[in-house]
Amino acid sequence: MAHDVLDTVVAAETPEGIVLELRPAGLSARFYAFLIDWLVRLLILYAAAIAQAFMGGFGIGFWFVFLFLLEWFYPVVFELSRSGATPGKSMVGIKVVMDNGLPITPAASFTRNLLRVADFLPFLFGAGILSILLRQDSKRLGDLAAATIVVHQPQRPPKLKLDDVVPVAPFKPLAPSDQAALVALAARAPTLTAERLDELAALAATVSGDGGKAGPHVTRRVLGVAQWAMGKRA
Amino acid sequence: MTPLAFEALYQAEWQELEQLLDRVLKRTTKKFEEPLRGERIAALYRRACEHLALARARSYPAYMLDRLDRLTADAHQVIYQQRGELGGSALWHIVAQDFPRAVRADHVFVWVAAALFILPLLVVGVLVYFQPNLILSVVDASTAAQFEQMYSRSAESIGRAPTAATNWVAFGGYIRNNISIAFQCFASGLAAGVGSIFYLVLNGALIGAVAGYLTERGLSETFYSFVVTHGAFELTAIVLSGAAGLKLGHSLLAPGRRTRRQSLVHAAGECVVIVYGVTAMLVVAAAIEAFWSSSVWVPNAVKYGVASVCWIVVLAYFTRQGRHAA
Repeated sequence: MAHDVLDTVVAAETPEGIVLELRPAGLSARFYAFLIDWLVRLLILYAAAIAQAFMGGFGIGFWFVFLFLLEWFYPVVFELSRSGATPGKSMVGIKVVMDNGLPITPAASFTRNLLRVADFLPFLFGAGILSILLRQDSKRLGDLAAATIVVHQPQRPPKLKLDDVVPVAPFKPLAPSDQAALVALAARAPTLTAERLDELAALAATVSGDGGKAGPHVTRRVLGVAQWAMGKRA
Repeated sequence: MTPLAFEALYQAEWQELEQLLDRVLKRTTKKFEEPLRGERIAALYRRACEHLALARARSYPAYMLDRLDRLTADAHQVIYQQRGELGGSALWHIVAQDFPRAVRADHVFVWVAAALFILPLLVVGVLVYFQPNLILSVVDASTAAQFEQMYSRSAESIGRAPTAATNWVAFGGYIRNNISIAFQCFASGLAAGVGSIFYLVLNGALIGAVAGYLTERGLSETFYSFVVTHGAFELTAIVLSGAAGLKLGHSLLAPGRRTRRQSLVHAAGECVVIVYGVTAMLVVAAAIEAFWSSSVWVPNAVKYGVASVCWIVVLAYFTRQGRHAA
């Protein structure tokens, strides 16, 4: 069951009994997002510094309030926007959602960002980093308390492009999971080199009755079975 | 049924749902004539859930499962989202009921936090009063001299560092420092409450030291008339943020019949209401401190009068407000 151990997918069940798959974002993705956000904040700070210079005595007061807001509420404002992500997070392709896959609530966003202080302990986000690395769902302490999770935004997979492949009836009856494996291979075919595709197809060659053989013609027949599983008939 | 036949049969429903969701989530710029019908989204969502369950059980191809996954996930978000918390009436509800109720519900933590704050304040205050040299073990000599100057009778505005030129500058500074302290006092409570205890004792001792020192120097009149008004909000808010932090730590140490994680999530949900309230109180405190407490033209008798009204209002708010459903 190496698959279960390696995969970090978190399942969230809806009231309709459908399981939504959430893919937690790990340390590296979140570190890059943090870095970008840090730079964005620096830019905003720079712009505000220029603005406050023109405001006279009122300016320094504004400056303090602005520093306070930027320090504590920069992530809250962006997480509550439609995208659910700070600029850094959306550039890396991750966002914050509730444990059950719903958009983050104001209270949860407030909680997880205040508790960043606890994640910072004992120094340089030690507790937060440890928590992200040790937990399967990559939550920091603030995420634990707020019941939120940082996830990768789903990517749109390519549609099957098998128009030129002749459907082949399978050599033996195929279980649904076998069919799924074949179709997944066919979906990946355009992204693989021809040699690698031949290698992988050779592993599945029993389905077209070519067990033990390898080569482009075997690959075409294996992809043909995938085509057949998709409902195409010659 | 083959995957393609399945897709051909239900394709139209999926497309309709996709278009409706694009409209709700504003992912399309197209203009629509007909009004948006929510019940249609709900019906199509339930259908799509059935289709996804079937497609998964039958191991249909990955691209179709992905499409249905995305479709149901988007519809789920649209149908179940809770975004009502930030409206004006919701905020009023927090002020009128939730905040004082949350404080009363956690009165044990509030009393413990108050003790952790007030006892060091009194002990250090009395120590420094009788042994003024001790102030030097809390702050350095120049800071002590600065305190003395800030509260001297000849000061242009009381209780203010010479760097803060105007009321607005002081206001900004109070907002930033005090609310940051309150947030830290709350959040560090996650470390089994230790952080909150630390910040409560530290702030109590610091304030006690300054009070004891200035009293001994004979500046009690300017000092107490300065702190007493905004103290009603500021000191109470620090104690409450500490209480929220203690509650957070306690939920981890003694989760009761919940798992530690459930207990933490539950406690954090209740604490956040208190932190909302604390933030508002500190904004009020900063405004009073910057524009009222520091003014030299207000006679002390008026300041004490206003201060006693503030204290009565704050205490009455936490003991009486929101006892009956509005």
